[in-house]
Amino acid sequence: MKKITAKKATKKTVRQPAAAAAPPAPARVRIATMWLSGCSGCHMSFLDLDERLVELVKLVDILHSPIVDTKDIPEVDVGIVEGCVNNNEQEHELKKLRSRCKVLIALGDCAVTGNIPGLRNQFALKDCLLRAYEQTESTKISCLPNDPVVPVLNAKARPLQEFVKVDFSIPGCPPDADVIWYALTELLAGRVPQWTEKNLRYD
Amino acid sequence: MTAPKKISLHIDGRLCETADGRTILEVARANNIAIPTLCYLEGLTPWGGCRLCIVEIEGSPKIVPACTTPATAGTKIITQSERLHNLRRATLELLFSERNHICPMCQYNKGDCGLQHQGYAHGIDSIRYPYLYPALPVDVSAKYFGMDHNRCILCGRCVRTCDEIEGAHTLDVAYRGIRNRVIVDLNQTFAESLTCTQCGACVANCPTGTLFDKAAAFRGPLASCQQVLTTCTECPVGCGLKVFTKENRIVTVWGDPGSPVNRGHLCVKGRYQTWAEPRERILTPFIRKNGSLQKATWNEALDTIRKAVKAAKKTEKALLVLPRLTNETAKTITGLAGKVDRVGMHVATNEAALCAQAEYTADALAKLQDADAFIIIGAQPARDNGVLAARIRTAVRKRGAKLLIFHTRKTNLDQFADVHANIVSLEHQLWKRVASTLSGAKRPAVIYGPNAMTPIGVTVMEQLIKILETNRSTQEPLLIGLSAGSNSLALAGAGIEAVEEVGPWLESKPLKFLHIVAGDAPDGGLQVMEETGVPAAFPNIDCVVVQAAYPSRLTDAARVVLPAAIWCEKSGTVTNLEGRRLNLNPVLPLHGEARDDAAILESVFA
Repeated sequence: MKKITAKKATKKTVRQPAAAAAPPAPARVRIATMWLSGCSGCHMSFLDLDERLVELVKLVDILHSPIVDTKDIPEVDVGIVEGCVNNNEQEHELKKLRSRCKVLIALGDCAVTGNIPGLRNQFALKDCLLRAYEQTESTKISCLPNDPVVPVLNAKARPLQEFVKVDFSIPGCPPDADVIWYALTELLAGRVPQWTEKNLRYD
Repeated sequence: MTAPKKISLHIDGRLCETADGRTILEVARANNIAIPTLCYLEGLTPWGGCRLCIVEIEGSPKIVPACTTPATAGTKIITQSERLHNLRRATLELLFSERNHICPMCQYNKGDCGLQHQGYAHGIDSIRYPYLYPALPVDVSAKYFGMDHNRCILCGRCVRTCDEIEGAHTLDVAYRGIRNRVIVDLNQTFAESLTCTQCGACVANCPTGTLFDKAAAFRGPLASCQQVLTTCTECPVGCGLKVFTKENRIVTVWGDPGSPVNRGHLCVKGRYQTWAEPRERILTPFIRKNGSLQKATWNEALDTIRKAVKAAKKTEKALLVLPRLTNETAKTITGLAGKVDRVGMHVATNEAALCAQAEYTADALAKLQDADAFIIIGAQPARDNGVLAARIRTAVRKRGAKLLIFHTRKTNLDQFADVHANIVSLEHQLWKRVASTLSGAKRPAVIYGPNAMTPIGVTVMEQLIKILETNRSTQEPLLIGLSAGSNSLALAGAGIEAVEEVGPWLESKPLKFLHIVAGDAPDGGLQVMEETGVPAAFPNIDCVVVQAAYPSRLTDAARVVLPAAIWCEKSGTVTNLEGRRLNLNPVLPLHGEARDDAAILESVFA
């Protein structure tokens, strides 16, 4: 239930700019969020802001996101990325977002450290593919993906900062909704969030 | 010896007075000034490896590690500055990037991990360096613990613990630079290791999730567990235990650092064997019906027993206990003297003589710390009393203490012995060697077990005492009587007769009712009993009642079996080899329908 209401709230805001363009309202911060190699848990944690989402949409417009139906990334103020970079498509998307946003936030451990998708880094890529597509016990017809349309896996799954400049990191697996709220409100207020023992978590 | 002179210095602007010869870190900690550390652990030699404890000294361009730098009079130390913070942060970032520190899938996260804690304390949200993602092995071949090199920060705490506390030096560091790795023996696995005693001290002292208890893994963060202090009842040393529990389960067992007996150290028996392996437990009373044991209620069981108790005359009733009981249970047992004819405590061969002769030596374990010659006769501390063996090993290896072992069985202490002799093959030549080995000894310690009580053992003891007496500089030897039973000396002291040969003891008078208190002995005490030969079944006795926590051949032969409490459910006291009365505190509530030993005895003979 929580998710559905949150989704509606965000969708509404997408349409709002045109209607609200006339009065000289304070400039709303435009946000794009992106889901790379991660479990979507960080986006779930973001939706766990619950009623605070209503407050948030008064300040921001979410223009691009897994929960917003847009094909291309528009010019935004803030890009929020969950997950690490696993293949050439994700690398391309990330670089595109970086070129179109002013501030890039890495959300969650996968984006910051590589985390769970990075577990494969200890093995050769070929071994990972063989294990997944040929040696799995349930495999009936084994075939490595070779369609040119399918993105090509990078040799290692790597965190964002190894590809682009990351302005701010929110670690956590996933980061707590309170921590996301703290970081976003501080940033929106023009301050740099301060990490202390109390709000910093890697797990 | 003159007292070390006092010096004073400033740390963070605070005037600190201290005795000369201490490190900056020790002085700072004594004055409640926090300096972050990872590789430092009180009780181990400072190593200066992690570089988190770096401090600045005013007037010096150099940055020094506080844990290895001696405090010097008149210096001004700065422990917190932007420069230090940035350096510490960089060090931590390098540690995080070097191996696979993936917190979400580590069993040692959420408040237990030292590296994670330092990361939080230094506000590390991301790492500036590229991650290396090395492929590192995990050694889970040991029975009770594993070593995951992915999480290792090479702080060397395990290496120093193994060397300085357990004295085994199984662990060390191999390879150079980025390939640097903690290894077991000559790069073997724990299972292949000949030197590892499985004491698990390295696990307790590991600041990260590298060394982990298999039974404790993923059972919840230790930081969220309840801690109960109790005493180990596996041997007469009586080590203090710190038991971590959660939702009425034991999560892990560590040594109690506050205990004067073991000061935080434990052997494999105390740390793991009592809880870390599944063991079938007797949870309800059982009564033999139609030849097999069948579940029963306490009332049915007690009715059956009371009928048998009434049917037998006083002279036909006997009570046999194992020497693991608390002093309070012993008191209950001596109170039963009017109701049963004979009360016997089953002990190992020759232990009755030990119970009769041995005296407690106050603070024996602390005095062992200064001993410069150890003589072990008829005891196997390496097998039975791991904490004692660790003291001996470290004394021999670190302080050059002499070690003489007189025993028929081989143990892993033999390799450190100056003289090692079979107790029954003593020739003249050997005594010459013994005399020359002991000639320089000033503070000898004699540790004797039950097997020293044989005629030849006593001869050896007398001969040794004679040799020690001829050395003028030698003090009176420290005598430690090491019984096989955990609490047998105290139980014998309470007036319970020590019985070595159970068979003849049972057959000496006709018996109709026999009650055996096996308690929580894992095999029902059969290890001891088989040595002295106990009748497999008790054919001539009408009713044999066994109160035990675990099934054994003893319970198989019983007519009624009563469920008893185990070590972590008991309260009361036990007396260790120093004569200390040590408290047992219930860690968990009684499991199933088990009852306390004394309570069962009272209701049986009510």
